[in-house]
Amino acid sequence: MGFLAPAFLLGILGVGLPLYLHLLRRQSGNQRFFSSLMFLEPREESAVRRRRLRYWLLLALRCAVLIVAALAFAEPYIERPGAAVPPDRLLVLAIDDSFSMRAGGRLAEAKREALDLLAARRSRDRAQVIALSSAVSALTPATRDAAELRAAVESIAPGDSRGSFAALASAMRSLAASERTPIELHLFSDMQRTGMPPSFAEMALPASVQLVLHPVAPTAAPNWAVESVSAPGEVWSRSARVQAVIAGYGTPAAMRTVSFLVGGRVVATRQVSVPTSGRAVVTVDALDVPYGLDRCAVRLDPTDALPADDEYDFTIGRSDPRRGLFVHQASDERSPLYFETALRATDAAAFTLDKIATDRAASVDPAPYAFVVLSDVATLPGPFLDRLSEYVRRGGSVLIALGTTAQQSGRIPILDAKLGAARDYSRQAERFASVGTADPAYPAVGSQGQWDGVKFYYAAGLDAAGVAAKSARVPVRLADGAPLLAEQPFGEGRVVLLASGLDNVTNDLPLHPVFVAFIDRLMRYLAGMEARSSARTVDEFVELRTGREHAAGVQVTDPRGERLLSLGAGTAADRLQLTRAGYYELHLASGRRDVIAVNADRRESDLAPMPAEVLALWRGTASSSAPASGASHAPGTNGAPTGSQTGATEAQAGAGAEGAPLQRSRRDLWWYAMALLLAAVLAESAAGSRYLGTRREAS
Amino acid sequence: MRFLDPAVLAAISGLDLVAQTVVEGFIAGLHRSADFGFSQEFAEYRAYVPGDDLRHVDWNAFARTERLYLKRWRGETSSVLTVLLDASNSMSFASHAVRKADYARFLAASLCYLAIRKQRDAAGLVVFDDEVRDYIRPSTRQGQLFRVLAALEQAEPRARTRLEAPLKHVEAFVRRRGIIVVLSDFYEPPAAVVRAIEPLRHRGSEVVLFHVLDREELQLEIGGSSVLVDLESGARFPVTQEYAARDYRERITAHCKELEERAGAAGLGYRLLQTSQPLDAALREYLAVRQGRD
Repeated sequence: MGFLAPAFLLGILGVGLPLYLHLLRRQSGNQRFFSSLMFLEPREESAVRRRRLRYWLLLALRCAVLIVAALAFAEPYIERPGAAVPPDRLLVLAIDDSFSMRAGGRLAEAKREALDLLAARRSRDRAQVIALSSAVSALTPATRDAAELRAAVESIAPGDSRGSFAALASAMRSLAASERTPIELHLFSDMQRTGMPPSFAEMALPASVQLVLHPVAPTAAPNWAVESVSAPGEVWSRSARVQAVIAGYGTPAAMRTVSFLVGGRVVATRQVSVPTSGRAVVTVDALDVPYGLDRCAVRLDPTDALPADDEYDFTIGRSDPRRGLFVHQASDERSPLYFETALRATDAAAFTLDKIATDRAASVDPAPYAFVVLSDVATLPGPFLDRLSEYVRRGGSVLIALGTTAQQSGRIPILDAKLGAARDYSRQAERFASVGTADPAYPAVGSQGQWDGVKFYYAAGLDAAGVAAKSARVPVRLADGAPLLAEQPFGEGRVVLLASGLDNVTNDLPLHPVFVAFIDRLMRYLAGMEARSSARTVDEFVELRTGREHAAGVQVTDPRGERLLSLGAGTAADRLQLTRAGYYELHLASGRRDVIAVNADRRESDLAPMPAEVLALWRGTASSSAPASGASHAPGTNGAPTGSQTGATEAQAGAGAEGAPLQRSRRDLWWYAMALLLAAVLAESAAGSRYLGTRREAS
Repeated sequence: MRFLDPAVLAAISGLDLVAQTVVEGFIAGLHRSADFGFSQEFAEYRAYVPGDDLRHVDWNAFARTERLYLKRWRGETSSVLTVLLDASNSMSFASHAVRKADYARFLAASLCYLAIRKQRDAAGLVVFDDEVRDYIRPSTRQGQLFRVLAALEQAEPRARTRLEAPLKHVEAFVRRRGIIVVLSDFYEPPAAVVRAIEPLRHRGSEVVLFHVLDREELQLEIGGSSVLVDLESGARFPVTQEYAARDYRERITAHCKELEERAGAAGLGYRLLQTSQPLDAALREYLAVRQGRD
């Protein structure tokens, strides 16, 4: 006899409660207040004795109720041999189709073993085929249809995702919760060590699942791979600096040839010495890239056990620098100098700057510019101001730096908002103000620590200028709470306000390193140039549209050239998971075309399997009655399971007279325990009513 | 007689109204009996003593003799009624609408009303439990009845019964001869009760013991086994039905009988009153005792 949930047996300890109530606790009886007990004597021994005899019966019934309830919840069962027909079971064939299964025909071997298992399957057993990578995909329902099962196995193609045994365990836990019959899980995999989750507990399988392992590559094969490539996603000059990391997994020291390809053509080749199971870095300082989105790759020669990871794809977009317009006072020579120097200080200068004084701005059209900067200007020519307002209204972006000159005018251009009182910190005791709060979520701000040490001697009165309205965003404030940087939507565009100048007079911001990063990020943000990544990893998600681009059509073509989104999905999809390695072509909702290079997770390149003891532990967690056949499939043995060995329970019980294995049938006693519990409850109720009813009546 | 039913009286809110209802109903049932004399026939002069109502002084006699005399009428002969009311916690027992304490208070109020308003007697009150809780000196002054009734209103049961200690104090209070009525459930050994009350008799007063009990106390009935809790001590005794039906009744009957015998032997009047009985029996007993004194 056994129990499925023996922990509930602890409930038997509850019999202590009726014992306490009946034996230890003083009988209170039916209490009545009376004038005097002068004529009374506690001479009721005989009555008490009789009552206790009766109460012993009640006590026994109450204890029986508790004990039987605990037994019922513990789900008792008995096992007895004799039934020649084994119980139903569900065979789950999990075939690993992760990226590492591309190595050395591992997937083909796994599929062959799975087909053999299906062939040896008893016709009465249901089976289900699932594919395992970063997630579990059910290829068939639980069925007895052999043709459907074989077709599902044969349809499995090598994937580019990363294998996750935690995902398999999670899926099995869900399946076991809904499946009444025992589950026999057959895993056909290379048992890659990197597929293990950080915590082994995530791999634990429920008790009703018996795990049978079919390792298809019991030993690790040496493998070199292009682990990563560092390249700019976008350049505005002819050449780009590209750096590749070559890694060896279980490899001896060797020389490898690294080729750099642009548009499928080898443009550079390097020889690199990769140490034993180590890494080497290869750099091309000036990789010539033509205009447009270029498909680039780093290739490793000669090929090895896993050729798929010998090439790493990436893309570089080359375009001309964007133009920016910088408007300043004629007398101000400092702010254009600092601003332009900051823009050119970055590795790849994305902008060229047209500087113009306010007195010559009347005929300038801001429309061709990616952004406009108004640096501490008091007044603007009327025609230019009109064109600038229309420029912003149609989606342009303007940065307005409000120094002392702008403060004198009392109004903010374009927004036509009134400025409040300026804060002249140089006249206060501290002489300056520092940045108090900085919102790192704002694209141009960066971390707050970068602003440490920057002194602001003057700040325009933005707090009374309407920028504190609900539509405005204030990502940076000074220590006294005064807004330093604010963004105000205007039409389709945006106006960013800096409550200080760019001339190193009202602050010393241009002298700090944060100025370069701040100007670079802010101008990219204003120009709508989001940081472009040169490569992504399989299973990542890509954003297809922003919040403003509702209902705009999106189209995605995967590396095989297939369109992934229907017309309906193309107008609704916000993001897309990249499931294959190669180049994805995207036509985004903004109308921009993009090419994304996707590579397999390089953790898949490490082909080392899980240690044998870990595998044994995993099998142990699956079921206390682990099948003997599991041991024969342990890593280090070449024995693939044959048809007669596939049934775990068969191997446990031996063969029957007619070749059918003898089983130990399990008979649940839960219903009997519940019936007994019901009877005990009724008896207790009757006894309690009979013995205690008199007392209630008397009261 | 309906107005003497304790259950009816319990529905009347004020003790003054209760007393008036009881006494007027009682008198109406006497049918002009001359024995107890409520006429205005002159009887005698009596020397004034402090506490007497000055309205009854015969000022003509004072003018002639320069001595204070009270003019007395037949039926108004001087008598002093002192009611000793047991207000211990055992008196709060009730098996029906009227508690023993309420019954005793009704009776005390009725006796005082009868004495002051109808007999022109001085009446006083002593409320006791294990000590003297309240004392209203016997008097015929105006407002005396209301003082007595107010004291009765406040005589809620509490504490325990101990006759000996409070009655020793009462001896000091009772200096004039008169009628002393003791209202109690007398849950003490009869010998102790008589020993405590007998000294009052020695001072020339007539003493009547009104033994107030609930019917349930005389015929204890319980179903099955019960735990009885003493109202005064809080002690708990489990009691079976058999014991209550046999032994208890024998004991309480013997207790009442012994108390009656010992009271009679000591010259004390005794009457057992059940709270379900009308009050007229007690009033008759009082008038009989008073007549005997006259």
